[in-house]
Amino acid sequence: MEPEVVSSEMLLSPVFSFKKVQMGDKYPKGQARGRHWKHLKQILQAENFQAYTNGRPNYLNIEAPPSAYPSKKFCDITGFEAPYVDPRTTLRYANPEIFKRIRMLPNEYVQRYLSLRNAAVVLR
Amino acid sequence: MSNVVVLDNGGGLIKAGFGGDRDPVAVVPNCLGRPSSSKKWLAADQLLAADFEIAAVSIRRPFDRGYLINPDLQKEIWDRVIGSLLRTDPSTSSLLLVEPLFNPPAIQRATDELVFEDLGFQSLFVADAPSLVHLYEASRWTADGLAAMAQCSLVVDCGFSFTHTAPVVQNFTLNYGVRRLDLGGKALTNYLKELVSYRSINLMDETLIIDDAKEKLCFVSLDVPKDLHLARKPGRDNPFRCTYVLPDGITNTRGFVKDIDEARRFLYLPDGSSTTPGVQAVDSQEDAGPAGDRKRVDMNKSEFDLTNERFLVPEMIFCPADLGMNQAGLAECIIKAVHACHPYLHPVLFESIILTGGSTLFPRFAERLERELRPLVRDDYRVKITCQKDPIKGVWRGGSLLASSPDFESMCVTKSEYEELGSARCRRRFFH
Repeated sequence: MEPEVVSSEMLLSPVFSFKKVQMGDKYPKGQARGRHWKHLKQILQAENFQAYTNGRPNYLNIEAPPSAYPSKKFCDITGFEAPYVDPRTTLRYANPEIFKRIRMLPNEYVQRYLSLRNAAVVLR
Repeated sequence: MSNVVVLDNGGGLIKAGFGGDRDPVAVVPNCLGRPSSSKKWLAADQLLAADFEIAAVSIRRPFDRGYLINPDLQKEIWDRVIGSLLRTDPSTSSLLLVEPLFNPPAIQRATDELVFEDLGFQSLFVADAPSLVHLYEASRWTADGLAAMAQCSLVVDCGFSFTHTAPVVQNFTLNYGVRRLDLGGKALTNYLKELVSYRSINLMDETLIIDDAKEKLCFVSLDVPKDLHLARKPGRDNPFRCTYVLPDGITNTRGFVKDIDEARRFLYLPDGSSTTPGVQAVDSQEDAGPAGDRKRVDMNKSEFDLTNERFLVPEMIFCPADLGMNQAGLAECIIKAVHACHPYLHPVLFESIILTGGSTLFPRFAERLERELRPLVRDDYRVKITCQKDPIKGVWRGGSLLASSPDFESMCVTKSEYEELGSARCRRRFFH
């Protein structure tokens, strides 16, 4: 860039040969910078890691696998150890007083307690 | 003489400073926040100001699940950090950027564009967190240990967005051995928010307040069933119950713990652990008079109680299956990461495990990890866990060390090379 252009602070972005979309075209004059940023899930889907079958590590296959040990059961209402499960709602509880409370809960609250544990029934 | 700006771009906190320094100049949150009373978005360090209204703040982060998806937002935050806090001009400096592992190429391209075209740095070097931590710790080891001779270690980085267990050999991260747990400070804060909202007051919007409560009150328990049993006892026998007072904007702008010494009482329990030398068991029966009033929750003052949530929240890192997440705990993750490497490396890796990242600051984290890990490792291998002295700044310090090495300049990618060759060709220099 000539020194006069640089010093006049008109930043004309140069044209790069390796880019498909140049900076100047991405934000034409008068238009604010785009608000549409892709979320990580969309970026990952665009990467399409399933197509790479050569076994090299990528974001998807380095995730920790499911645990080999049985999980401990905690009460959904109070957080203490829960040896018992309510058969009607599948909520775990620690003692009979909590069980009385569970039986008095409306169904919506039951589903919300279950969703804390990722165990809610999701109708699609 | 161009100076090097070392920037550790994290999902939660940005650590920025100059290469060769001992400490970063700025450790600020990496987000924009807007209190509900004003219309202006405040960046990074303005959120830490004393008069900032901490209740009902909406937060926008440029990071999503650990990767930078919003370069525009990041540019605003970097402008503030580099312009006002570091006060340096990018066109005369090089940048050492720390990125997360397995950065997708689309994001790498966007970041390169941001660094070279928007900000105009002279040259760029991209590093990943585990190798920097290894570099920093290796420079502090004595020369005769087995780990120092073998030059490798297993870095466990429990950050804001996720936790990686990465084996590092000779300052080089082994890509195939890295295992990722999608749990970090953010997930723990969200879980604590849910628990408190279900059991006491609805605080689902108050991320900063719950962050504060989590950092002050949560700890890792060494024996969960026994602690749960203790937590059920009423009144003074319960060593875990604590109250956190919410800010009310008039008398106190930040929340605080009602009685910070009570909160530390769990450390003095006689449970056989050797973390607190020379301590007697606290007499719990004598002074029940004035203490009785302290225990009652004052409903006028908007505060909430925490008993077993204090140790069930960090428990999530060790056992995500308890809470419905289908991933292994931290100990198993370490085992899987080590077993993915060559068998000759196993004993060396187990002997030098380094804990880094802000989420390892919970009290007793290292002890609990050792207790969980020891039964899973062969008897003739030694297990030694080192905590970094300052886990939040640890990666930054490694970067500062790297930036002050003599041949750093030749390793960077300069702006002219980027303009000729493009982002993809330049990134191939960095091996990941």
